[in-house]
Amino acid sequence: MYQKLALAIAFSPRMEALIAEARKLISIFEGELVLIHVGTKTPELEAQLAEVLSRHCGDLHRIKTIWKEGKPAKTILKTCAEEGVDLLVLGALKKEGLLTYYLGSVARKVIRKATCSVLTLIDPKITTTHFSKVVINGTELEITPRVIARGLKFCQAEQSSQVHILNEIKLYGFQMATAGEGTETEVANTRRKLVQDEIQYVQDILDKLDQTGLKINIKVTAGKWAVELVRYSESIEADLLIMGDEQGLSFIDRLFPHDLEGILEELPCNLLIVK
Amino acid sequence: MESLAHQDVINLLLKLATMLLLARIFAEVAQKLKQPAVVGEILAGIILGPTVLGMVGPEFFEFLFKSSPSANLALDGIVQMAVILLLFIAGLEVELHLVWSQGKSAVSISILGLVVPFIFGFLAPYYFPEFFGITEDKKLLFSLFMGTAMSITALPVVARILMDMNLFKTKMGMVIVAGAMVNDLIGWLIFSVILSFMGKAGNFSLVNTFGITLLFTVFMLTLGKGLLNKVLPWTNKKLAWPGGVLSLSMAFCFLAAAFTEWLGIHAIFGAFLFGVALGDSDHLSEKAKEIIHQFINNIFAPLFFVSIGLKINFFTNFDLGLVLIILVISFAGKIIGSGYGALRSGYSPKDALAVGFGMNARGAMEIILGLIALENGLIDEKLFVALVVMALVTSMSAAPLMKWALKKKPGEAD
Repeated sequence: MYQKLALAIAFSPRMEALIAEARKLISIFEGELVLIHVGTKTPELEAQLAEVLSRHCGDLHRIKTIWKEGKPAKTILKTCAEEGVDLLVLGALKKEGLLTYYLGSVARKVIRKATCSVLTLIDPKITTTHFSKVVINGTELEITPRVIARGLKFCQAEQSSQVHILNEIKLYGFQMATAGEGTETEVANTRRKLVQDEIQYVQDILDKLDQTGLKINIKVTAGKWAVELVRYSESIEADLLIMGDEQGLSFIDRLFPHDLEGILEELPCNLLIVK
Repeated sequence: MESLAHQDVINLLLKLATMLLLARIFAEVAQKLKQPAVVGEILAGIILGPTVLGMVGPEFFEFLFKSSPSANLALDGIVQMAVILLLFIAGLEVELHLVWSQGKSAVSISILGLVVPFIFGFLAPYYFPEFFGITEDKKLLFSLFMGTAMSITALPVVARILMDMNLFKTKMGMVIVAGAMVNDLIGWLIFSVILSFMGKAGNFSLVNTFGITLLFTVFMLTLGKGLLNKVLPWTNKKLAWPGGVLSLSMAFCFLAAAFTEWLGIHAIFGAFLFGVALGDSDHLSEKAKEIIHQFINNIFAPLFFVSIGLKINFFTNFDLGLVLIILVISFAGKIIGSGYGALRSGYSPKDALAVGFGMNARGAMEIILGLIALENGLIDEKLFVALVVMALVTSMSAAPLMKWALKKKPGEAD
């Protein structure tokens, strides 16, 4: 599914864990690995990287390290485009003394502008992470059918045990208040219809897809989808959240934070953004 | 504390009971005829007021609505509260994140659907002041008011129509809903500016009032919202549910309303802005929203709509020429503006026309706007009646017109 995987490295204490995680993904997808470092190439750093690589990627032939200088976000994006990368792996930052993770400004910029999918790992481990509980954003957006299709493929490759697809009823309170002008039966019917419509939307997408080996649960919520996704992922202690990207972010979107921004501010778990 | 006399209490309770009963009966009839409940509630008021009951049974009308000044005052207090609460839920309905997620087409439909009717509404009285019976010194404010009055869309009426037609969740439905939200927000902002220009008994000079209004708006939509996001999770967890969030949101709604009233712009503006901030918060559950809506929609809203008819004689103040002109301006402005916006966003001419018809529904907001202008002496009773008729006609015609526009010719594919 992902043939060319890139990993942005910064020689932080977590570099080795990130490389181990990337190596695991390569073995699942049978692809090749591109390491990108934005900064000066020195013999010490080269030696350090070679040592880590020999531990985790000794058997890997299709591997390439790119050293480039320049603005981090821009350089990473440019390199990904040049190399034809289809999945970029990044590490999230951890808030000092707290168990919460967030994305730095470079990572956010990369996620917004990348043309390839981006996987953000909040807590990479040398022993690698298994994404067993996965939440997929099933809210009605143009990109959603693609997100669900890619998400299921990823889960099949990863052999995830539970897949939850979340869809929300838009303006539920308002719609119910509007429906409140009807009789009790009418109100109950409206309530049922609102829920069923959302399940049907996801089901229609699922019907066209191969679901072999997956246990899929469709969950309907009410409220803002980004908030509900975070809440649900936290409540079931999900390992991975898969969602699409909101295209065409403009100046106005910066002024009025987008749904995606809310999630990037405080990551509930590992995050895969499908492009 | 002063209290009502025995007789006044009975009178007040009789008033409330009659108003609610008649409002309910007419709302049900309106719904049976596939019309918005608000249409029935306003008709109930016209029947209970000087227009019908005052003519048919003057003694009964005198006894119920004229015999007790104290009870009338108490009723006025309740009606004031009803308007504030109506604006509060109007604010609650504005979901900015939905507007942004609808992207450019929603913005284009709502901006054009606001600007074009505004220009139409502004130009007519500005160039023909005699027809509207206004003096030269009031011309600018009056024209601004007419512009605003023409550009408002009633979200609840539109939402009901869209749900009935099974269009709410479609791309077109969401674009109309988002467009109506933007219209409401900008419309009330402009109106608050007009109110501050009218120089009601406020505490500040014009420039200061304007500045503080702007600051308050920015504060509510940024820091105020942030503060609510911090307080609400605590309220939900530690206080009774939904008791805690209900009484606290009411309390802060009244506080914000008191603040803007003190500023010299109207109380409703504070309530509206607080509603927007609260509705946009991540932590106000949809269930809580539903409860707030239900009790305001079904208890306070009918009282307010019925009270409109009690204040004014719709028969003696009915000016056919004025009503027709207002209807033409309102239909033309909204349908051309929103329709063109939709056309520009890539909708087919038929769908664009349907968007225009949908956005044309004015409903409750128009009436509140008109009432405040009437109370402030900006418009006279004749124009107010014309605005109410326009609100009723646009609300009643929106659904049939949309259905007509979307009707497919035989053999036409989906």
